[in-house]
Formats: sequence, C-alpha cells, structure tokens
Amino acid sequence: MTKRMAIWATVFATCCIALAYLSAFIDGGTRWGVWCMVLGLATMVVALMALGVSRRGGGVGALAVPLAFTFVVLVGGFAAALLLPSETAGARVYLGLPLRAALVLYGVGLLPILVLPLSYALTFDAMTLSEEDLRRVQALGAAHAAKQGRAGH
Amino acid sequence: MAPAMWPLLQAGSLPPLAQPMIIGVALLYFAVVAAIGVWATRQTKSASDFFVAGQGIGLWTMAIAAMAATLSGFAFIGGPGLLYNVGLGAVFIILPIGVTGTLGAWTMAKRLRLLGEVRGLITVPDAIAARFQSRAARGLSAVAMLVAIIGYMATNILALGLVIDAIFGTGLTAGLWIGMAITLAYSVSGGILAGVYTDLFQGGVMALASIMVFLYTIKVGGGPAGFAGTILPADAPFLAPWGKMTPLAALSFFFVFGIGSLGQPHVVHKFYMLRDPRKLKWYPMIMSAAIVISQLLFIGVGLAVKALVVRGELPPLARADDATPAFLLRFTPLLLSAIVFSGVAAAIMSTVNSFMSVGAAALTHDLPIAFGRKVGNELLWGRISTVAISLVATFVAGMSGTLVAFLGIFGWGLFASTLVPALAIGLNWTGATRAGAIASISTGLVVTLVFETLAFMKVFSFPAGVTATALALVSSLLVFFVVSWFTRHTAASTLSDDVRFVMEV
Repeated sequence: MTKRMAIWATVFATCCIALAYLSAFIDGGTRWGVWCMVLGLATMVVALMALGVSRRGGGVGALAVPLAFTFVVLVGGFAAALLLPSETAGARVYLGLPLRAALVLYGVGLLPILVLPLSYALTFDAMTLSEEDLRRVQALGAAHAAKQGRAGH
Repeated sequence: MAPAMWPLLQAGSLPPLAQPMIIGVALLYFAVVAAIGVWATRQTKSASDFFVAGQGIGLWTMAIAAMAATLSGFAFIGGPGLLYNVGLGAVFIILPIGVTGTLGAWTMAKRLRLLGEVRGLITVPDAIAARFQSRAARGLSAVAMLVAIIGYMATNILALGLVIDAIFGTGLTAGLWIGMAITLAYSVSGGILAGVYTDLFQGGVMALASIMVFLYTIKVGGGPAGFAGTILPADAPFLAPWGKMTPLAALSFFFVFGIGSLGQPHVVHKFYMLRDPRKLKWYPMIMSAAIVISQLLFIGVGLAVKALVVRGELPPLARADDATPAFLLRFTPLLLSAIVFSGVAAAIMSTVNSFMSVGAAALTHDLPIAFGRKVGNELLWGRISTVAISLVATFVAGMSGTLVAFLGIFGWGLFASTLVPALAIGLNWTGATRAGAIASISTGLVVTLVFETLAFMKVFSFPAGVTATALALVSSLLVFFVVSWFTRHTAASTLSDDVRFVMEV
C-alpha cells in the first residue's frame, strides 16, 4: 500500500514538474509554474524516500515523522522565499544572511542533514537491514553461486 | 542542458600560479598519489579487485570516495565563480545535499550492495539487467554510460590540463596529457582500489582546504554578518534566495542536481565495494557531513569575493572563474593556496578515475554480455579499456573548448535521464517493467541528444529556467511510468525470486 502510494506520489510529482517547465514555454514564466515546481520537488524527494523505506508490504513506521518534516521544510523554505518581501539595504541579518536566504540555506540546505541521516541510522536495524536479513541474503547468494558454479562467494 | 548552465563547467584558463611553493606542494601531492597507485597495483589480482575493489572497502573509505567522486573541480573554481556572477541562486546546485545522501541510501545503497552479495554484480548495468532480466536494457544503459563518460571525462581532463598548465606553465596540450597520464598510471594498474584510496587522500585534502579557506573568507569578510552588511546596500538582489536568477531556474538546479544525483554511476557504483553491508547505517551521516564541509569554500569564496569587490579591495573580475585564484593569491598564505590548487587537481582526478573504472567496466563487461558474449580475461581487458577510453577522452578534450563543454553537459544529462528511472525507481518498485525500463533509457538518450544538439547549434533557445537535462529527466520518468502501466501484466515475469527478495528486504 505504501509503495503504491509512493509511486503515485512520484507520478504526481513528475507531472507537477513537467507542468512547471511547460508553463515557462507557454507564458514565458508564471507564478503558478513556480508553485508547481515547489510542490513537485518536495513531493518527489519524500515519495522516493518512502519508496525506498517501505518493504514487504509494510509502511514507513516511525520514519513518517522525519519524512513529513522533510516535506514541510522543503515546501516551507521555498514558499517563504516566494512569499516574504524582497531584501532591502538595511534588512535584518540572521546568521549572516537576509531572512529569505537564511531560511532557504539553513532550512532547506542544513535542517534535513540534522534529521535524515540520524533517522536512517536509528531505524537501520529495524527498518533497513537487520543481521537476520543479511544472513538470508547471504544464503541466497551462496545458493546462486552454487547454481552458477561461481567460486569464492 | 542549455547554454545557461555552461558556467557549471571549467573550460576557461586560470591565471598563472607557477610559484615554488605551489609547484612543491603539487609535486608532493602527485608523489603521494603515485605511492598509493603502486600499493594498489600489488593488491589487484582479479577483475573483482579491479572494478569493485573485491568488495573489501570500509565505510569511511567508501563514503569519502563517493564524496570525492561527486565533487569535480567545479566545487572549487566554477562554483564560487558562478556564485559571484549570479548571487545566491548558485547555491541551489549544492542545496540538495541536505537530502541526497539519505535519499541515495534509502533508494539504492542497500539494494545495490545486496544485489552484489546475491549475484556478485560489479556494474550499474549489471543491476539493471538483473532487475529487468534484459540484455537490451543492459546494453542500452552501457551505451548511454559510455557516451556520457567520454564527454564528461573530456571536460574533466580539460579542467585538469588547465590546472596543471596554471601551476607548472606547461601549456594546455602538455597539461592535458600529463594530467591524463598521472591519473591513468594509477587507474590502469591499481584499478578502482587505487582509485578509492586515492579518493580517500584526495577527499581529505579537499575537506581540509575547504575548511581553511572558509575561515579566511569569514576573517576577510568581517565576520559572518560582514558579507551581508557590505553587499546588501550595493546589490540587494545578489543576496535574494534565487540571486539574480528566476525562481524556476534556481529550483530547476535543485531538481537536476538533487534527483539527477541518483543516476550518477561513478558514485552509486561505489555501493558495491563496501565490505559489510550493515555498515551502511552510518553512510548518510558521513557522506552528508563530508559534502557540507567540502562545499564551505564554494559559498565562502563566492560571497567574500563579491564583498571585496563592493568594498573596492578587489577589482571586478574579468572572468567569474578567477574568483577562487584571485581570493587565494591575495588573501591567504601561499601554503594554503598551494593546498587548494592541489585540492582542485585532486577533485578532478578522483572524478576522472571513477569514470575510467565505470567506463572500462561498461566496455569490457556489460557490452559483451549484452551481445551474448563474455570476455575471457576481464582484468587484462579492463586495463586495456581504461587506456582506450582515456586516450579517446583526452583527444576529445583537445578539441575546441565550446565543444568539450557541450559534451560534458551532455554527459551529465545522459546519466540522470537514462539511469534514474530504471535504477533508482526500478530497484524499489516491483510494478516496473522491462519495456518501461528500455523505453525510459531510450527516451533519455534521444531527448538529451536532440535537445542538447539543437541548443548547441543555436537552432532555438530554452526559456529561462528550462534546460535540456531537466526536460530529458522529466520525459524519461514519464515514459517509464506510462509504459510500465501499459505493460503491467508483464511486471511479474521480469522479476526473479532472488531479486524480488532483495527489493523487498
């Protein structure tokens, strides 16, 4: 079920991105085209992650939280950059950058790095590859090697 | 990719750097690389050693090697120059690093490594062939990779020639052949084993150089707030999140370099090499941290040079690619400049070495199997193929700069559009079909070839934000889904039991 939803979300995201590029041809660039791109990018990144995470018909489990977080950060960061007012000469600076640039650079660029790799590591044994999984894969490999007459495997 | 993205490639000459300190550090660097090559040659005894380091690489080595292969000289020269030119919008090229490390781990790292365990696979087309039980898919992906590799390698060899010419004053042609010969020497003898350990050393040099230069940019810029305080009153749009680009153009960078990163064979190929698959647990953390550190120079130098120009402490740059050399030679100690220029050579060489290995494997292993044959001595032919590919790429690199730039862009786009659907999605979706994979690889090839060539010949130009690479990637994704949908009744028949197990585990 999760895999199927992830695939449909990826298809939806691809269509959004295609529409964004088409909008540049039709009108020489439109506001709605940019929003299509924002929605498409965030959806595609998270949908592909969900596609990779889910296995044996299962869901994404506790990883739903970091995946949802990533979606919110991507959409929120890009939306803030589109909606907030432009920079002026005396604009206030946050960690060395004007607000919109800081939200994109530190939010979209760095926040996911603090969350995603840690989530991956913390759930690795339960949701990615356990010792038991590996043993079964190695047994399959040994069976395949014997069948093929492949030495040393 | 349209001409709008040509600044991503290093095709212009650098200012002369020939000073004893810089030459000395560069020679020392080449000596270390040669020593690693000699050691690796003694360890390389089989085709598996040559192409996947005998599946015996540790996590740190693999992650740093993947990082080094990901970054070319662009991160040190072209990137800061692009930022100086178009403002913060250039950062969208590296912005996806927040997600790509973990995205690649979830979608491909485990599956590819386990396929290597089950089937003894050694190449990316091997994985596509195993997934779809298709010699045609293997052959098409190998052809796409070979074409892309020649183009991309030529661009990188040209960049290496420019760096060597700038350091040693050899002239460009001699620089090209010297750079190729050094890289080839350790690649052809030590194979990917030499490559990954050289990458480990080179990655260390790149990270060290990046941190040191970043600290100098902060100091010269007047602290973290100094950049904005200087630049905003003079040129506020420079510090807008999109810089001087349109929002669509900046977001398009995120798409092409974020999603497209899943189709870079010289990086994903390294997943096969890991000794213990369970060590992947920490791969995203190490890879992400290493890339962030290595990109500090990109952002720091781009902002610092802009601030220095606004303050009148540097004259406006005649060429954007001069940003890094101009900053280093005027505002950092000569030893640091020397390390950075060696780091640039390191970045380029590690990328070229990875392409040599992946290209040789496609030529020696994948294409013969696609035609129903198997090469007898893959180690010997792997070495011969490495030399042949390198010679062709170096000859191409000696052609006009514009053509080489075109081929490099063409190569990057081909990787993304031909491999992302079949590999990144195909390894995770049992509903994907052989016909879908073949159609999407073919679409990626044709769309990239047609649009890039038409754009190169100036038959038409794309609107702002649209690139041939992006169109090819979107097209191949759509074709993959549509054809798989129409041929969904064949999905189960293209999946063997062991591959299905790996996809579901």
